[in-house]
Amino acid sequence: MKSEVIITIENLTKRFPEGDSEFTALSKINLEFSRGEFAGVVGPSGSGKTTLLNIIGSLDKPTEGRVSVLSNDISKLSHKESAMLRNMHIGFIFQVYNLLPVYTVFENVEFALMLQKKSKSERTKSVMEALEWVGLQDIPNKKVTKLSGGEGQRVAIARAMVKKPELVIADEPTANLDAVNAHSILETMKNLNKEFNTTFLFSTHDEKVMSYLDRIIHLRDGKLESDEIIHHKITAK
Amino acid sequence: MIQFLLKGILRDKSRSILPIIIVSAGVFLTVLLSGYMKGVFGDVIDQSARFDTGHVKVMSRAYAENIDQLPNDLALLGVTEIVGSLKNQYPEMDWVKRIKFGGLIDVIDKEGNSKGQGPVAGLSFELFSGTGKEIKRMNIEKSIVIGRVPLKPNEALISNEFAQKLNLSIGDEVTYIGSTMNGSMAFSVFKICGTITFGVAQMDRGSIIIDVSDAQKILDMEDGAGEILGFQRNDIYQVEEAELISDKFNASYASDPDEFAPMMVSLQKQNDLEFMINYSNSISAILIGFFIFAMSLVLWNTGLLSGLRRYKEFGIRLALGEAKGQIYRTFTYEAIIVGIIGSVIGTVLGVSAVYYLQVVGIDISGMLDQLSSSMMMPSVLRGKITPNLFYIGFVPGLLAMVLGNMLSGLGIYKRQTATLMKELEV
Ligand SMILES: Nc1ncnc2c1ncn2[C@@H]1O[C@H](COP(=O)(O)OP(=O)(O)O)[C@@H](O)[C@H]1O
Ligand SMILES: [Mg+2]
Repeated sequence: MKSEVIITIENLTKRFPEGDSEFTALSKINLEFSRGEFAGVVGPSGSGKTTLLNIIGSLDKPTEGRVSVLSNDISKLSHKESAMLRNMHIGFIFQVYNLLPVYTVFENVEFALMLQKKSKSERTKSVMEALEWVGLQDIPNKKVTKLSGGEGQRVAIARAMVKKPELVIADEPTANLDAVNAHSILETMKNLNKEFNTTFLFSTHDEKVMSYLDRIIHLRDGKLESDEIIHHKITAK
Repeated sequence: MIQFLLKGILRDKSRSILPIIIVSAGVFLTVLLSGYMKGVFGDVIDQSARFDTGHVKVMSRAYAENIDQLPNDLALLGVTEIVGSLKNQYPEMDWVKRIKFGGLIDVIDKEGNSKGQGPVAGLSFELFSGTGKEIKRMNIEKSIVIGRVPLKPNEALISNEFAQKLNLSIGDEVTYIGSTMNGSMAFSVFKICGTITFGVAQMDRGSIIIDVSDAQKILDMEDGAGEILGFQRNDIYQVEEAELISDKFNASYASDPDEFAPMMVSLQKQNDLEFMINYSNSISAILIGFFIFAMSLVLWNTGLLSGLRRYKEFGIRLALGEAKGQIYRTFTYEAIIVGIIGSVIGTVLGVSAVYYLQVVGIDISGMLDQLSSSMMMPSVLRGKITPNLFYIGFVPGLLAMVLGNMLSGLGIYKRQTATLMKELEV
């Protein structure tokens, strides 16, 4: 059975004003993503990866073309509606500036649920569960400023996943991590992807990330270069 | 959510300490200055009323014109009738006669030789009236250093400082030398029944205090008085009412061309007190306005300095699914919380400082000796705690914090989401 399509991108073009003229960051992109995919946009720096993910995440709008995410036409969403879409259905993980300083691990994760107006008991239960997914259940009260880079990214994953979103957008999540930590968080995300059938969309130019992806989309200068499904060899352990 | 913000504020010292210090300092100064100025202005006005101007004062037109020279030759006559009619018309007010006069005091020893001399400012009040109102009004009993209030003719109180200078003690006799209403020489012997210190520079330099009837006698002012003072209910000054009464009074004499006809002047029309009354009423508003302006600018800048942290937080929260307006609003709540904390601290400190000034005061008597103002300056400046001190600080504290914060957040708020996210990529 072919799985449900949750993201449709048709003829997406994004231009940014640049001085008096315009700069084309994305040009005529056509893509579809189905529920449960573990896919990545790959390309050199400046190729338009972040721009594409931001539009899918409704942080930005297309200049031309149609982008539909979970049956929402991104162009037509008001500022509040797009905030609502992110709040309820999309989790973000960024390369940096990820966590709210001064708050603890627990509170950072909890914040996502506070925005959904969940009750305290519901929040506590979900947060502890999410911290267990990422292996941080023992340090809920640690200040995030005291965490290592790997731990910080785990908190970000827990925060993105705690609301059980349909889609997680991860923009170069391993860029600041060493190999061990990178593999470890990718492992974690892959497991969550399998367990909850959450769709993961990455942007990366990290080989390590690519080795986990089921689908790799190459971007170059804002154009779609290739789109390939990866068939991982089943390795017997 | 508020709880969440509060946690953040309390933990992030770098974000809260500076604004809290700024707000506390501004609120502290607002409260302190308000309380202090109110106290000083209030004292000046109050003392002027009691000792000098009354709430309204009736004089002859000619006397009023030359009031600085104590022109008793221009004093009102037939004052019993005038006072009677004033009492009739305004029974709720207290009307009293006063005579001020100048002259010399000569102290004679047992052999009849002059022991010492000095110029005096003579003051006469209704001490023998039996109501005791004037005695209470000027707090004479408490101000007496030794001795008592004059009880019978030819008894006098004398400034304590003056008495020490002339080496006078109770029971001593002094001769007053001056001029009568008609310009002839006035001589009169008084027995010192007490010495007094009012704590009002002008009154403590060298005064002799006697009853009005004595003054009338020695100055040849039968049924005359330099001034008739009117005091409003409970000795509390009511500006509008005083104006109304004096306007009405003066209107009734408008067609009288006589320069000796009586005229009435309200407190604020005397001794430049009007500006002080106006200031006293608006001092809090002026200070609040000033501090809102100054603190907003400072806090705006402090806000801009912490902009990067703000930026990050804004970006994260946008991604987490908050709308810009919502984030901006919580920043404002944060400002309100910080503003309240700062205002509470500032108010507590400010009120304490005013309380200290109310109890201790600042002694300016040394300064006043060189100052020859017609204004009644108390020699110790005191603050005054009024109920409004407990809340006025919150107005500039909160407004400045919120305003400063909104201004500094505006830049972030106006950015396109995409631009913001782009700028956040380091
Ligand atoms: N908000 C923006 N305003 C102007 N130019 C932008 C903006 N966002 C991205 N760009 C430009 O678009 C191009 C693609 O950027 P981006 O999507 O961030 O690339 P990548 O994530 O692949 O490194 C870059 O040249 C970048 O300068
Ligand atoms: Mg990027």
